[in-house]
Amino acid sequence: MHFQRMSKSFAAVALAGTSFFAATAAFAGEITVWCWDPNFNVAIMKEAGARYTAKHPETTLNIVDFAKADVEQKLQTALTSGTTDALPDIVLIEDYGAQKYLQSFPGAFASMSDTVDYSGFAPYKVKLMTVDDQVYGMPFDSGVTGLYYRKDYLEQAGFKPSDMQDITWDRFIEIGKVVEEKTGKKMLGLDMTDAGFTRILMQSAGQWYFDAEGNLSIENNTALKAALETQQKILKANIHKPAAGWTDWVGTFTSGDVATVTSGVWITGTVKAQADQSGKWGVAPLPSLGIEGATHASNLGGSSWYVVESSPEKKEAIDFLNEVYAKDVPFYQDILTTRGAVGSLMAARTGDAYMLADPFFGGEKVWQNFSDWLSKVPPVNYGIFTNEVDTAVTAHLPSLAQGADIATVLKEIQSQAEGQIQ
Amino acid sequence: MTAIPASRTGRAVPRVATYVALSVAAFVSVFPFIWMVISSTNTSIDIIKGKATFGSAFSNNVANFFAQVDVPLVFWNSAKVAILATLLTIAVSSLAGYGFEMFRSKMRDRLYSLVLLTLMVPFAALMIPLFMMMGKAGLINTHIAILLPTVASAFIIFYFRQATKAFPTELRDAAKVDGLKEWQIFLYIYVPVMRSTYAAAFVIVFMMNWNNYLWPLIVLQSNDTKTITLVVSSLASAYYPDFGVVMIGTILATLPTLLVFFVMQRQFVAGMLGSVK
Repeated sequence: MHFQRMSKSFAAVALAGTSFFAATAAFAGEITVWCWDPNFNVAIMKEAGARYTAKHPETTLNIVDFAKADVEQKLQTALTSGTTDALPDIVLIEDYGAQKYLQSFPGAFASMSDTVDYSGFAPYKVKLMTVDDQVYGMPFDSGVTGLYYRKDYLEQAGFKPSDMQDITWDRFIEIGKVVEEKTGKKMLGLDMTDAGFTRILMQSAGQWYFDAEGNLSIENNTALKAALETQQKILKANIHKPAAGWTDWVGTFTSGDVATVTSGVWITGTVKAQADQSGKWGVAPLPSLGIEGATHASNLGGSSWYVVESSPEKKEAIDFLNEVYAKDVPFYQDILTTRGAVGSLMAARTGDAYMLADPFFGGEKVWQNFSDWLSKVPPVNYGIFTNEVDTAVTAHLPSLAQGADIATVLKEIQSQAEGQIQ
Repeated sequence: MTAIPASRTGRAVPRVATYVALSVAAFVSVFPFIWMVISSTNTSIDIIKGKATFGSAFSNNVANFFAQVDVPLVFWNSAKVAILATLLTIAVSSLAGYGFEMFRSKMRDRLYSLVLLTLMVPFAALMIPLFMMMGKAGLINTHIAILLPTVASAFIIFYFRQATKAFPTELRDAAKVDGLKEWQIFLYIYVPVMRSTYAAAFVIVFMMNWNNYLWPLIVLQSNDTKTITLVVSSLASAYYPDFGVVMIGTILATLPTLLVFFVMQRQFVAGMLGSVK
């Protein structure tokens, strides 16, 4: 009764202000998308929309851009309150957070297993959106990693590009010592306020903060242990340039102060932004941790598209994603060329843009290499609480510099993470 | 006669200390603005490098901002929400403040404590129930959904009640003798007398509404209803934000609150001191 009265007065006020207050109504055939970054995700989705609507003129695409944290906040609020009509039809979710949404809100997102041929995508991208054998998303951009290195500095120190292929981190440190001795340059920038580097190393050996069942795995995580040990060795060898925060870290290589960069493929644009360094860079496979299960491929970041189950445009939305993101190879050439985006569809590598030899990298076919590594990224379970554990790991990184015992550090991370997850 | 200069020098030292402390405080509070203005003239790369001198990228940044953002629409949205919310909030909350002070009843102080108690409930706790209410009322993605929850502001009710304590009750009594009804007293006597209080409240509420972020973010769903705070947030969260453009956005977002403050500065100070004219 009370609520009825309230909604009546709401309605009265709303009516009084209809000319003044714009209310948008969704009509059939319009697919609404929420995502972040106007120059990347929004622009890419616009291109995808243009390709789809060219064949399906009855469909229109409405892309709304919010900040990444804002998309998450809105999604969380709408799902928690059960106000599903406040949700878009398609939403972009960062890969590290995918399992959190899929498992916390079962039934909120549409399974696309029946429509999409997932065998065409990088396996690790499919794994992160799978719950109980159902696959819920459309894999989008990848953060497949590589080791970017300055050929000129390494050459000065007496190393050829072949010396950088398929090395271990121990070998990397040895090379780093020689590079510093011969050129005075540090081997890499190390940001101890961010656990990104730790995550890259850990996933390269096929492990994560959680095991296959989703249980916290820190103390007995051999890959995490090796990742922390490697960083401690780097610190001890003093072949790093310390950085505080992301922009500072980016500054270590844009300024030419360090000889290598280890990051996701999306960093390519930033590396290439220094036109005066053209021809001086090469890209090698990620060094390996040298433990059991270690590989030369890993990932940092990336996100994927999800369709809301309750959406009236669900079928259309899935069809749109499937037509463009799962089949359109020329589309992937376009977004690589114009936006520097590397998708997760393996067939994309057969296109012209992926075949290109890049003069910035001395004519190397870098995209073919990244594409190779993409297929080899070890699938892991990102679990529900990656961000929480990440906080615990980040908090303990500085203690590595003080020579802390790794087993003790792992124990502390485990207990802090348990506290945060409770 | 020597006593006076002695006491003067005695005071000069603490005065110097006061000025030094005030200068430091002023610098700390003004520095972000200086940084913002300087950065708006630099390219994104220079800003990241920490360049603290004026550059030549200002017009380029402005052009990029206007190319990426539908500026008139976004400002119209922000201004509409902020001005309407401010007027409604002041109208409703000043009435409540007036009522709480003028009318005596047994329940008055209990009711008033209840109102003040709501100050302790964080907005995050209200957000989801509010969102469900707005959803059921069909007001999601409307500007009216932003202003409704802010109209009855416990803080402004409190502020008006405190200010009303200085309102001479003789005025009200005299007006009553002259035959004015309560609403006439409020409108023709109280409001003009308390105008500096209203001015101060206007500045505070306008700033709160103009800068309001979380609730508009939750309620607004489309590009054509977004306010400036949401637009700036979106620009800043790109993988590679163009900080020059972000700075232009923050400057433009800051200007209206600055303007309102400077225009009403005298009344604001008078209102905060609780003067009645």
